[in-house]
Amino acid sequence: MARQRYHDGLALRQALPGRFLPFLVGSMAFLAALALAGGIAAHSLSQRWTHGAGAVTTVQVPGPTDPATTTAAMGQMPATRIDAVLAILAATPGITDTHRLSDAELRALLAPWIEQTGDPSLPLPAVIELHTTPGQDVAASVLPRLQAQAPGVLMEHDSVWSDRLAALAASLQACAGLAVLVVMTVAVCVVMAATRAGLLTRRQAIGLIHALGATDSYISGRFATRVGLLALWGGMCGSVLALPMLLALSQLAAPFTAMGDAPATAPDWHDLHAWTALLPSALLWMLVIVPPAAGLTGWATTQLTVRAWLRRLP
Amino acid sequence: MFRLHDVSYAYGGSKTGVAALSHVSLDVAQGEFRWLLGPSGAGKSSLLSILSLEVQASSGMVEILGVPVRQARRAGLARLRRRIGAVKQDFGLLPDMSVFDNVALPLRLQHRAEAEIAHEVHAIMKWVGLENRLDALPPQLSGGEQQRVAIARAVIYRPALLVADEPTNALDERQAGRLMRMFHRLAELGTTIVVATHNDAIVAKYPAPTIELVHGHLVRDHG
Repeated sequence: MARQRYHDGLALRQALPGRFLPFLVGSMAFLAALALAGGIAAHSLSQRWTHGAGAVTTVQVPGPTDPATTTAAMGQMPATRIDAVLAILAATPGITDTHRLSDAELRALLAPWIEQTGDPSLPLPAVIELHTTPGQDVAASVLPRLQAQAPGVLMEHDSVWSDRLAALAASLQACAGLAVLVVMTVAVCVVMAATRAGLLTRRQAIGLIHALGATDSYISGRFATRVGLLALWGGMCGSVLALPMLLALSQLAAPFTAMGDAPATAPDWHDLHAWTALLPSALLWMLVIVPPAAGLTGWATTQLTVRAWLRRLP
Repeated sequence: MFRLHDVSYAYGGSKTGVAALSHVSLDVAQGEFRWLLGPSGAGKSSLLSILSLEVQASSGMVEILGVPVRQARRAGLARLRRRIGAVKQDFGLLPDMSVFDNVALPLRLQHRAEAEIAHEVHAIMKWVGLENRLDALPPQLSGGEQQRVAIARAVIYRPALLVADEPTNALDERQAGRLMRMFHRLAELGTTIVVATHNDAIVAKYPAPTIELVHGHLVRDHG
């Protein structure tokens, strides 16, 4: 006696076909995934530049073993210039790390020029690498004190270069954010258009069901559930399709990002863990979040569209 | 039961539209059966549409089953519609749904169990003599059969108010008689019923209090 078929009268499989919307939402999710990946990559590069080479300041101390000015004047046990400089740097806030290059490191660094002069016994200054807190310019405050102790001290900080790179990275992140915003806006418009088309297709049925006592939340809920699931499916397809491209891009970008120690060769095709290890965790999370975000966007857009449309009914 | 006080209705808006009802006041108690009479264009369908909450009155007070319609929220109106049955002239059946699903629709909107729905649908369809056409689509039925399906759908949930627009139009005399007996039985059980008709013969055969409209004005409201 009980029937297997269940009809709510809305026939949403006809009103909202299962191919068109997932294809469009999937395309949007694919584009969003790429844009988000670009944003994450730009952020990663920015972090590396800011905290890496861009944050290094170089101090050159000529005549490092000569006596420092103050101790010589005060007639105390003469301290060397390099000791005085290192003591000042150690006591300066904003400097997170100091590293004096060894003779071997220094000669390796200067090898091209030393070989050109042909004089390996040339007296060399001491070179100290400083790592400073990002955004803090210690050179202006510490350089006069260093020069007071060791005349001729030089400080080099590529802040202009690193600032420009940081600005470039920020611009890339903003572009990625804008791209995601545009993609989401287009996705919302697509869902609205599809929902309105579905409403027009079933307007007679909706009018009848409304007259029989269906609430706005019932009708909008049916539409939103259908669209939400289709958008979720589309989002999953988009994320999965974006994955190979993101893996390839990650491999290419590895030398420039924190993933610099990534393996040079691709893992076995069946080793999912090794493949996913190639991607930054933020990117993996983003790929996981895109489908439910697409589903939620579709659901919410449909709810609002259907409820606004139903307002024309008494 | 329902009460109308000074109700007017115009197609296309109260200011620029065409007047369909003018200053109609009515008070019909629970369990009453009323004929709704009047020539074509008198406003009968408009009155039934207001009573079935298909349209809102342009002005005046409408109270249906104790609920003031103008003050009710949308969810409240939806709940009220589930207590009102309506048989329309065009039957209002969904052409792509089977007879069973058309008749089951109001019960599904009330979230009844499928077994109960099947039982109720079979019972009512047996009563209207269409128990063998449950899988048919409405376009596969004759006009009379479609009308019987529409009637079955309107009464299956035992509404507190039933409005019917020419419900005997496509029925033969025997079926019309059965329908009228069912309406009277429903009225005895407490359903308020308003039936619009042009059929003088059936009005004469089943006498009841009448509401008569002419050019949108109420000209008679008594038995």
